[in-house]
Amino acid sequence: MSEPIRTCTLGELLIYQIALTIEDGILAFHGFGSPLVQLALHLAKRSHAPNLVLVAGATYAVNPTPAFLTPTSNDFAMSLGAECGLDIEELFDLAASGRMGRMFLSGLQIDRWGNMNVTRLGNAEHLKLKLPGGGGGCNLSCDAEHVTIWTAAHRAPPDSKGQRRFRLVDRCDFVTSVGHRAADGTPRSELPYRGQGPDRIVTDLGVFDFDETGHARLRAVYPDTDAALVAENTGFDFPVADGLGIAPLPEPDMIELIRRLDPMQIHRRELSHADQNRAFEL
Amino acid sequence: MFTQVDKRCELSDLLGHVNDGDTVAVGGGLSWREPMAALRELIRQGRSGLKAVGSAHGIDIDLLCGAGALAASGESYVGFEQDFGMAPNYRRACESGQVAVEDNCCYTLVQQLRAAISGLPFMPIRSVQGTGFEALHPEFKTMLCPYTGERLVLVPALKPDVAILHAHFADRRGNLHIDGPPVADVLFAKASRKVIVTAERIVEPEELAHKGVTIPYFYVTAVCEVPFGAHPTACYPNYAYDRQHTRHYYDQAKQSADVFRENYLNPFIYQCADHPAYLEAVGGRERLNALAAWGESTEQWMRLYE
Repeated sequence: MSEPIRTCTLGELLIYQIALTIEDGILAFHGFGSPLVQLALHLAKRSHAPNLVLVAGATYAVNPTPAFLTPTSNDFAMSLGAECGLDIEELFDLAASGRMGRMFLSGLQIDRWGNMNVTRLGNAEHLKLKLPGGGGGCNLSCDAEHVTIWTAAHRAPPDSKGQRRFRLVDRCDFVTSVGHRAADGTPRSELPYRGQGPDRIVTDLGVFDFDETGHARLRAVYPDTDAALVAENTGFDFPVADGLGIAPLPEPDMIELIRRLDPMQIHRRELSHADQNRAFEL
Repeated sequence: MFTQVDKRCELSDLLGHVNDGDTVAVGGGLSWREPMAALRELIRQGRSGLKAVGSAHGIDIDLLCGAGALAASGESYVGFEQDFGMAPNYRRACESGQVAVEDNCCYTLVQQLRAAISGLPFMPIRSVQGTGFEALHPEFKTMLCPYTGERLVLVPALKPDVAILHAHFADRRGNLHIDGPPVADVLFAKASRKVIVTAERIVEPEELAHKGVTIPYFYVTAVCEVPFGAHPTACYPNYAYDRQHTRHYYDQAKQSADVFRENYLNPFIYQCADHPAYLEAVGGRERLNALAAWGESTEQWMRLYE
């Protein structure tokens, strides 16, 4: 008998919070380079969303049962046991025709409207940092019915000069994927997108939804965070939902499942150094 | 149409089909079935000024950047995911201006390839408008749909000069069989002017037909049998991803362009006369056997990621 599970790590909490955004019976797709999301989809399918059509990023495998989570997404270990595999055009056609219920996107910069940047810091003339790029995120931010945004790097501690480099920024240097307002300020409703845009931002400090104007709104915090801490680490002002609550923690059997799915703890690589040992009493 | 009855050739001749300045579509994706032996030969031959187009890639495009072969990147992603993070040579090349940043998105690329495949000048998409890609790609236009009145983005046909693919099996005529995710290889093969292929094994046409044809021969310009031709990326079921070698690659690349040249390009490319010499340099039979034995047990498979 193993020891009963009495605590949950930050990673496990984030996986659970992302999983809670996934509806049963939809087609949802995780991209590559996103172990927290990969685990969230498998957790959702094995708990509240058994009829989820789970499409794995990079392999486009449908309903796989991975041998273990790998640090690379296009790996046979990740597509093992799949019912079938899609090809790249079929996966993106599904989204373009309105049949992808949910997609998960992140960014090195995330603004108040849910626009995100994973392309570059600086501008075309003065490129400060070339980021890896967004894969299909640009297309899917427009086409997928709903988008869950996540980041495990919301906390922005001040550097030696007292400057904070925010993840949740006032303005993105480049808009790789679009939220509720385009780069020029055009509201999403005026653009002919299929999808309705992001409805959650799950971070290491709390959970946001979006108000009727499409602005990020703090909805829940964690047992060790509060609205003031979130504000201190955010590059824009945000409204707070009435009855701001503490996000629920996963059940022990869910935590056990996550640990079984990810024996090498690949998902911890998404967490900051300071957050590696952050845990919550159940 | 490529209709020669026997398209087999040496690796050095295969890469002779790529010219300086070509737009190349590199097959596979991330750490899966990249045509690495072909790219190493391309670098050995000193090809330069290339433009790479594709979806999500990693060591392949980073290597081309590190060797100074690339002048522009229209990939949708170049990196090492949660494994090692950002691609060091790619970053340096983009930030120094050596490589022009022409990032694309996966579906945009798919539609551009489909336009080429269909013989059309463009394909429409809904997405992209309102993002930074409109300014990055002034060749994208918008139009009002004459049927619905919606504003759509038109993306022009993309016809790469050459697609470089690695397949599990080929026959001498150029029929290809690929196991597992095709990524964009089939689209690349149909859209490109030339298709050059390394294959783990070249088999008789009857055997290839029995396995099933993923890409028909008439798209394919030339083929070369190159076992372990995707190393250090994976080519399941033949062999797993060589994370240990990739870590060594990454560690050298991260330090500086000079360190990368000295500790990676020299020992693994320039000082290897050919692919068999490379395989010896990365650990020879013993290492290759370990990568091929991934399926013996889950524990053994997992150890490859340590």
